[in-house]
Amino acid sequence: MKLRRSMLFVPGDNAAMLSTSFVFKPDSIMFDLEDAVSPREKDSARLMVFQALRHPAYCEIEKVVRVNELNTEFGAKDLEAAVRGGADIVRLPKTESAEEIRALDGRVATIEQECGRPSGDTKIMAAVESASGVVNAVSIATASPRMVAIALAGFDYLVDMHAKRSDGWEPELFYARAAVLHAARAAHIDAFDVAYGNVTDDEGFLREVGIAKQLGFNGKSLIHPKQIELLHKAYAPTDAEVNHARRVIAAAEEARRKGLGVISLDGKMIDPPVIEEAHMTLELAQAA
Amino acid sequence: MSATRDFYIIQPKDSPPEMAEVRKLLTTNDLELDDEIEQFVVCRREGRIVACAGLDHYTIKCVAVSEDRRGESLSLQLGSEVVKLAAERGQYHLFLYSAPRNLPFFRGWGFYPLIEVPRLVVMMENSPVAIKIYCDRLRKQRRQGRQIGAIVLNANPFTLGHRYLVEQAAAACDWLHVFVVKEDASLFSYDARFALVAAGVEHIGHLTLHAGSDYIISRATFPGYFLKEKTIIDHSWAAIDLLLFRQYIAPALGITHRYVGTEPFDPVTNHYNADMKHLLQQTPSAAPPITVLEVPRASINGTPISATEVRRLLTRRDFTRIKQLVPDATFQFLENECPRVPQTAE
Amino acid sequence: MKVLKEAIAGTLESSDLLVKVAPSEKETLDIVIKSEVIKQFGKQIRRVVTETLGKLSVSAGSIVIEDKGALDCVIQARVQAAVLRGCGSEDIDWRRLS
Repeated sequence: MKLRRSMLFVPGDNAAMLSTSFVFKPDSIMFDLEDAVSPREKDSARLMVFQALRHPAYCEIEKVVRVNELNTEFGAKDLEAAVRGGADIVRLPKTESAEEIRALDGRVATIEQECGRPSGDTKIMAAVESASGVVNAVSIATASPRMVAIALAGFDYLVDMHAKRSDGWEPELFYARAAVLHAARAAHIDAFDVAYGNVTDDEGFLREVGIAKQLGFNGKSLIHPKQIELLHKAYAPTDAEVNHARRVIAAAEEARRKGLGVISLDGKMIDPPVIEEAHMTLELAQAA
Repeated sequence: MSATRDFYIIQPKDSPPEMAEVRKLLTTNDLELDDEIEQFVVCRREGRIVACAGLDHYTIKCVAVSEDRRGESLSLQLGSEVVKLAAERGQYHLFLYSAPRNLPFFRGWGFYPLIEVPRLVVMMENSPVAIKIYCDRLRKQRRQGRQIGAIVLNANPFTLGHRYLVEQAAAACDWLHVFVVKEDASLFSYDARFALVAAGVEHIGHLTLHAGSDYIISRATFPGYFLKEKTIIDHSWAAIDLLLFRQYIAPALGITHRYVGTEPFDPVTNHYNADMKHLLQQTPSAAPPITVLEVPRASINGTPISATEVRRLLTRRDFTRIKQLVPDATFQFLENECPRVPQTAE
Repeated sequence: MKVLKEAIAGTLESSDLLVKVAPSEKETLDIVIKSEVIKQFGKQIRRVVTETLGKLSVSAGSIVIEDKGALDCVIQARVQAAVLRGCGSEDIDWRRLS
């Protein structure tokens, strides 16, 4: 079960960040070729990311590449760099329809074949940044077997919605968060909450993390390394939660040993999802 | 969410309110705004312009970083943005002038010192090897002789006066090197001027005609923008160009004598000639001194021949008088060029 | 590949390098490297640069590098970017970049 609590954004054109970001040990690193890179530097950034993907320091970390939209002059080349460079996941920005995911899937498959990468090895995640994307979240999330995650990108979405941005964005993002989460759960993939832009406001960040965790988001897009540890700690289960999880797993074990069809704990029935959740809790505890 | 988004370019003429901010930043850094600057790279953070750097053709000017932001990163980003802006405009060979105490700052920008006027200014270029490569190329054109002369001409256009100067110098030297000023800042283009010079000196055998360069009377070799004292501006203006000639160009070609025509009309050139005598002959330097010889201008009917006069006559379409002042090739050129030159109704 | 026009890639910032390429007048490959760590890493930087140029079959050009302590992978990327810009080529043979 791959933990995806923290996805650290690293601008693809920034040599210092590309050279050091692995030390922060996020669950995933996202090399950005899209919004963080100016058009005249896209070619240079693409090569930087290609080389970084292949660097030994990054081999243990899940590597995501945010490519430019496929209908731009940059997108196709970005894909070549990402797949050939060995990215674990390609992140498609501004996803609005399942068709876009299917098209991406096809292109990735072609490149895998051309460069000898095992078919299906490259995964996909979709970033939803508009009303259309939110409304199509379910079909997007189920559009391809390569899909492993769906993320909500808050800023662009709110602009698209003509919403006024309040401090915590809570009411404005309510529907979008819910839609993305439902889509993720229905498709059995991971869900990422929005990035928190104010790097000096730890309190605000943690408040938002609390909301994301409460709602059930697997993780959050992060724009600064210091947010990683804050997030991991916040996602760590409490001792009580850990103990409960251990008891659930123990109960399941016992039921299996006794050949019982039904698992119960403290007089309540335990369904498989609860057991899965217990495993996840222990993993989170271990990783914190 | 990228730091480089804070950087953008402003055209001084189009952005008065932003230029007011830039001016303020420059003033707090003891700098005066240079009117020749064509574009500014600025960095805006938290609503204020905190760094700026101007570009005048291929010279970087007016570099300032707000005192509270002086860490490495911002200034190196600024330098990168300026270099990229220049590259977009096709300018890869860049120069700048710096107070000597700021030399390390600009070394961080990949600039290397060329000429220093002690305690006043240091001129730098963005290459560790460009001047060396240029001099190596010149060295291949060295000629033997006891008296090796040099003339730098703008020749806008080439007149009988220029021809006279070249002939006088050639007569006295074992070999003569003639350079044409490269900047396209004159009425006639560099290519046109060069062609007329070439035609005009064809008859002299022991002469090499050199293409102009960034190192000889170019936009880059005119410093002084950031010095408030006008008198110092005049002196350092000439100094850089002349010291470059003395320390690099002359030794590469073995030049012993430099020839100039007397300058009765233009005060700036007159001043330059005076500085030339001082800097090439008298100023102590590791490089050997060069004798400066002023050749009296050729005259017609008592009036010294000047390119300025020829251009003036051209605006009045007075080809009769022009014919007296220029060789044939130049005359034919002027006749052809004439429609392009505005006519004055005097 | 030959460098056909002047081009630059990279930045002056820490951990990066600025690569300038230009056509060579003499049909030779001239590499000039300036670095804060030239004593410790000069040889290695030159090796990486030469290898990268070799894989791209660059036979002639003037390459000037202003290094600010970049890792090999960054050196490779910036040299590749500058060369591709200087050759005006849009097509990338990814196998030559590995």
